Amino acid sequence: MRMTLYHGEPNGPSLTVLATLFAKEVQAELVRIDLESGQRHTLPCAQEPLVAMSVEGEGAVLVVAGEAMTDSVFIACYLDDVGPGAALRPADPYGRWETMHWCRQMTERTAPAAAYLGCWAHPPKADAALLERIGSVDLRARWQQIAAGKFSADHLTDSRTKIHQATEKIEARLDGRQWLMGRFSIADIETYAWLAGMVRLVPAAFAAKPRTTAWLERVRTSPAVAQALALSRTGEPAASWSVGPEINRWG
Amino acid sequence: MLCNTYKMTVGPMHSVTLYHWEPNANSGKPMLALMEKGVAFESHYLDLLKFDQHQPDYLAINPQGTIPAMLHGERVLTESTAIMEYVNEEFPGPRLMPEDPRDRWRVRWWMKLMDQWLGPSFSMIGWKVFVGPAVSSRDPGELQAAIERIPLPERRVAWRKAIYGQFTEEELKESQRRVALGIRMLEQELANRPWLASNQYSLADINGFNLAYALPLSQPALSNDELTPNILRWLRAIYARPATKACWALGRTNLVKRVTVLEQPHSGGGG
Ligand SMILES: N[C@@H](CCC(=O)N[C@@H](CS)C(=O)NCC(=O)O)C(=O)O
Repeated sequence: MRMTLYHGEPNGPSLTVLATLFAKEVQAELVRIDLESGQRHTLPCAQEPLVAMSVEGEGAVLVVAGEAMTDSVFIACYLDDVGPGAALRPADPYGRWETMHWCRQMTERTAPAAAYLGCWAHPPKADAALLERIGSVDLRARWQQIAAGKFSADHLTDSRTKIHQATEKIEARLDGRQWLMGRFSIADIETYAWLAGMVRLVPAAFAAKPRTTAWLERVRTSPAVAQALALSRTGEPAASWSVGPEINRWG
Repeated sequence: MLCNTYKMTVGPMHSVTLYHWEPNANSGKPMLALMEKGVAFESHYLDLLKFDQHQPDYLAINPQGTIPAMLHGERVLTESTAIMEYVNEEFPGPRLMPEDPRDRWRVRWWMKLMDQWLGPSFSMIGWKVFVGPAVSSRDPGELQAAIERIPLPERRVAWRKAIYGQFTEEELKESQRRVALGIRMLEQELANRPWLASNQYSLADINGFNLAYALPLSQPALSNDELTPNILRWLRAIYARPATKACWALGRTNLVKRVTVLEQPHSGGGG
């Protein structure tokens, strides 16, 4: 089946999808887009509802047989289903529940925090004409806040707390484990993809966490992740950010 | 490995207990999935309006103090959407995920939109008009103490706003905008195929029904037989399923009585 993957620098959602693609040995045409300048919104599929309204914000888009797919964890599940490479989710239902539960916490609590802090430290820049094209009103509003340099002190503090909570959870989970789900999985890739850039921005969250530190290195040097990271054009993929999921407005 | 020891102590034959509130929103998702699979379970009704979910005996099961939670043998499972996938994979019975991997992606995409974008907007409006008023007349000191016992800071904020009527105009307007857009998106998608995310009944429909069953009643100007015939067709088809009937029988409040419009056949011809 013909596939095209539109992706940005190997960080965040782009890293998840690229690393999964390589781990699963799936063939796809790779097309680089500049997520940090909003280039995703110039793709022919940009206004399709399942692209425009992706909860993840600016992420990779995989086009398969004419259908444009978004949301890195679910694209990863798809690739896990179709690719010949080693399975990236446990085979038993309980292990699969743990994986989906872990990724949900990651995308709902950690990803918005990481993207907020990432954009604060490395602001993406889209020009006014491009902002006009953004189909989702709330995603456009997040872009406009960033363009105006408006970062709330409360959100920044809360985001740092969320990164601390994530690394505490990882440190506890890695007690007796090399990988979050026992074997290398989508959970490792997704978690690394959001947290790699936080080591520099929230160093205290990683201090005195030897298991987390060793695991980060293990993921970084795992073949599929290393192959994805090698696609970086800036040499510093973890410093490349675009607008992410919104910070929970309800609870 | 840990999984294997679990395997020996837990299997499809072990008992299932579900802690839930009304067959509605997040509680209703695993309830309806279990009913569709034909899995017998012990029902533990927690009264959300009495803050049962923040009591120590429940916090021992789910420290986050949110509903639902499911016990299967010794396993404790939370997160309603992930629980549904577990229920589907662990137990025999009709398959609630499509075979095609791309269809499965679409099921998950829609569930996420409903769980994390559309659902919270429905909830905000529902908490303002229903949950807040249902508890706000209680003893102020008691309410204060109840709020302080809530483990998740985000949930504490939501309860405070609901009880003291503190949702801002701006956030309510944004929620209403999302509800209106979500209705249009659902209508458009359901015009493409019989069910929400694929050509077979799936977890996306179970999820969507629990979110949207009251739409014709709560948003009559936006969702009705004329404007959203496909949403009404879809809700009626799910409402007519025996599993939905069995699930609805577990409800205790007026929430489950709000669906009479779904008992009527389509009023505008067609299907
Ligand atoms: N993501 C969780 C959310 C659970 C949740 O927030 N449930 C609501 C009821 S629908 C709740 O427990 N609210 C109780 C409270 O806020 O005290 C899931 O899907 O299970």
